[in-house]
Amino acid sequence: MKRRFSTLIAGLAAATSLAAAPAIAGGPTSADIVNDAATPGDVISYGMGPWQQRFSTLDKLNTQNVTKLIPVFGASLGGEKQRGQEAQPLVYDGTIYVTGSYSRLFAFDARTGEKKWEYNARLPDGIMPCCDVVNRGAAIHGDKVIFATLDAHLVALDRHTGKVLWNKKTGEYQAGYSATAAPLIVKDMVITGNSGGEFGIVGAVQARNVDTGELVWERPVIEGHVGTLKGQPNGMTGKLNASWTGDLWKTGGGATWLGGTYDPSTNTVFFGTGNPGPWNSHLRPGDNLYSASTLAIDVDTGVIKWHYQTTPHDGWDFDGVNEFVPFDATIKGKPMKLGAKADRNGYFYVLDRTNGKLMGAHKFVMQTTWANGIDLKTGRPNYVPENRPGAPDAAVKGKSVFASPSFLGGKNWMPMAFSQDTGLFYVPSNDWGMDIWNEPIAYKKGAAYLGAGFTIKPIADDHIGALRAMDPTTGKIVWEYKNKAPLWGGVLATRGNLVFTGTPEGFLKAFDAKTGAELWKFQTGSGVVGSPITWEQDGEQFVAVMSGWGGAVPLWGGEVAKTFKEISQGGMLWVFKLPKQ
Amino acid sequence: MSRPVLGRREFLASAILFAALPSTANAAPLEKVKDLGVLRVGLYADNRPWSWAEGGKAMGIDADIARTLAEALGVRADIQLFLADEDISDDLRNVVWRGGLLGFQPCDVMLHVPFDRTLMQQENNVVFLSPYYRETFGAACSREVGNCEAAPAAFKGRKVAAELASIPDFYLLGYAGGTLAKDLIHLPTGYGAAAALTDGTADFAVATTAQIEAVVKDHPDAGIKVRKGPLPMMMSPGWDIGIAVKENARNLGFALDEAIEKMIANGRLAAIFAQHGVAWKPALAAQA
Repeated sequence: MKRRFSTLIAGLAAATSLAAAPAIAGGPTSADIVNDAATPGDVISYGMGPWQQRFSTLDKLNTQNVTKLIPVFGASLGGEKQRGQEAQPLVYDGTIYVTGSYSRLFAFDARTGEKKWEYNARLPDGIMPCCDVVNRGAAIHGDKVIFATLDAHLVALDRHTGKVLWNKKTGEYQAGYSATAAPLIVKDMVITGNSGGEFGIVGAVQARNVDTGELVWERPVIEGHVGTLKGQPNGMTGKLNASWTGDLWKTGGGATWLGGTYDPSTNTVFFGTGNPGPWNSHLRPGDNLYSASTLAIDVDTGVIKWHYQTTPHDGWDFDGVNEFVPFDATIKGKPMKLGAKADRNGYFYVLDRTNGKLMGAHKFVMQTTWANGIDLKTGRPNYVPENRPGAPDAAVKGKSVFASPSFLGGKNWMPMAFSQDTGLFYVPSNDWGMDIWNEPIAYKKGAAYLGAGFTIKPIADDHIGALRAMDPTTGKIVWEYKNKAPLWGGVLATRGNLVFTGTPEGFLKAFDAKTGAELWKFQTGSGVVGSPITWEQDGEQFVAVMSGWGGAVPLWGGEVAKTFKEISQGGMLWVFKLPKQ
Repeated sequence: MSRPVLGRREFLASAILFAALPSTANAAPLEKVKDLGVLRVGLYADNRPWSWAEGGKAMGIDADIARTLAEALGVRADIQLFLADEDISDDLRNVVWRGGLLGFQPCDVMLHVPFDRTLMQQENNVVFLSPYYRETFGAACSREVGNCEAAPAAFKGRKVAAELASIPDFYLLGYAGGTLAKDLIHLPTGYGAAAALTDGTADFAVATTAQIEAVVKDHPDAGIKVRKGPLPMMMSPGWDIGIAVKENARNLGFALDEAIEKMIANGRLAAIFAQHGVAWKPALAAQA
């Protein structure tokens, strides 16, 4: 396939050494982390670089030889916590650092698979974590590895010993706060979002000193709340009651539970925000800013530079948390700084990342019943009003509405990849819808409640999951790979013209990045819902992925469950390479 | 499947739906409780006046009932105040028949469980017993208000209070096309909403009758006026509450049921309610 536009590597990946990173006594610095995408000898950030393109410049492993890829070792996380391994490993100085479900962090020898140490967060047994027991990965800086725990703490460990260096509470687990995302390290700060139960919480982004865990700035994401910088008030988010009624902004939701990406060239971090509360949109007229949005936040001050709301006045639980991945491309002859996001709501958005202006929005799933496209002039969806779930106005079962995508989204948390060679995004998507109705017989905390009943169901005979290669400049889907069960794992693209992703059926698969032809697969023994990585070590190219079925999907019964009913739980790190010649 | 909240991105719920089956018996749960000398009772945390913690002790109507039930079995009560999950189905799984994913052990019995035929049909892993009270929603006003029997629309422009994301919240937000939405103050609990009438925070509150009555008792000098007439277009007619035990613990459930019957007959139950300012009302299901 002809490259449709040129990609620029933009300072980030300046043509520095492509050799394995030297083992520095002090460990990776913030500068090393910014340069991660250009140092394939290590993986020292979630997303393999601040842009989180999940693209490796390595090509020793390629479409010609990937069929020979074999496992080097499998390392068990042990114990009984065999569930929901959604992490992306890190590799540094001969060690693989990977988080496990239930707030665990492991260090394995990258050559032998032997465990060096293991850290188990002591969690209060009364936690009812909102967002599964998963964890998506750690961050590394200096002598520390840092990760977030289910009881809403941020923990920094000595990367050599696994001993705790600092441990900071980021929210009250009793109030429903939790944390599962990989932290982002920028300019010696560790930047995280928050997550938690639906009601009463307000999304926020926090930046902390990486050495001490002390708060530097905090930015609440719902309008009306005031941010802080070095302990001082630092301006209100948005304008009070501009898009909310009464005091609902105080408990407006918008959890930033998936973390963020970073663009050094604009000194900006990008965080997505969750759905607004309460769940029924008829009770909160207005756009409900900045829920279901992408926010561009100044790294140094925590001030919002721009926002783009993907689902104004959300009524379907279309969280806007999905990752915003910066990339550079030439559009109509003009080189541009862009970013892309494949939203829960089924649309793939391309924005000018310097100002948030919408450049394009295209459907990346089979069906979007809630809107007929996105208006490029206003940046707003063309809603289909009759497909908005109804108001909870009576003690009778309401009219059922069919909505697609389902609330689990056209794409959920699992990160997409961008190939600087093909210029394509590789989006792990799902084609499914839901029937949704108001449910009068519901109870919450011992009291009658008006809930919503829903049933998630497939919308195609042959698949739910679909890995789609999307041209961000045209919105054209260049190829797609269909998978029977929902896809729930991250994607990796490489200069070897390969795309890797895992399936709930247990396979790690490799595809031709240009054609989508499936070239290789390996059965890991449990569903793959983690994100694969690749790196170079001792002159050879390695690939690693976590195996261990879990996350949100196994909850759902009915037709969707039929696609994974035989899948067993697990908890294993798999590492692959080509055999020595 | 019915869920009260759409919001969650990744539900935990049930590994069990697809993996572990309910553990095999435990043939004699009642004997086990007596042997161990402890009845482990699950109550909602922060659910005043029913159950809440104060100075490390479980307080409230349900806490007092739990202690009385333990006493009836000749054992000590081990009260576990747990965090409410998204709906009753989650709570029953976490507290009664499976336990929490992070190590919370199941309780022998949970109190304050809605007693509802539809719910019973959905929940095969627990037994519902002993409906012991009828919950309803009501309203009250601050001393500043002249006529608390007026239609809620009369409170436009004054502060009205409700528990966040409760039926009273939805009622007031949606009432008469949202006419009160701008005046609504959201509090974390219904008790808190009623208590907002005591200090000038709000002039009108919708909460459960028990929450309102308890606040009136706790603030005897506040001049709170309890609305006597029904709330027009209120979505819920009320509901019964009872107890739940694990499906294989029927003999324990029957023993507790007998103890509650006795408490009703001898006035002990009504006395416990009265200590908290709440007028005991028999469950509808118990009056048939």
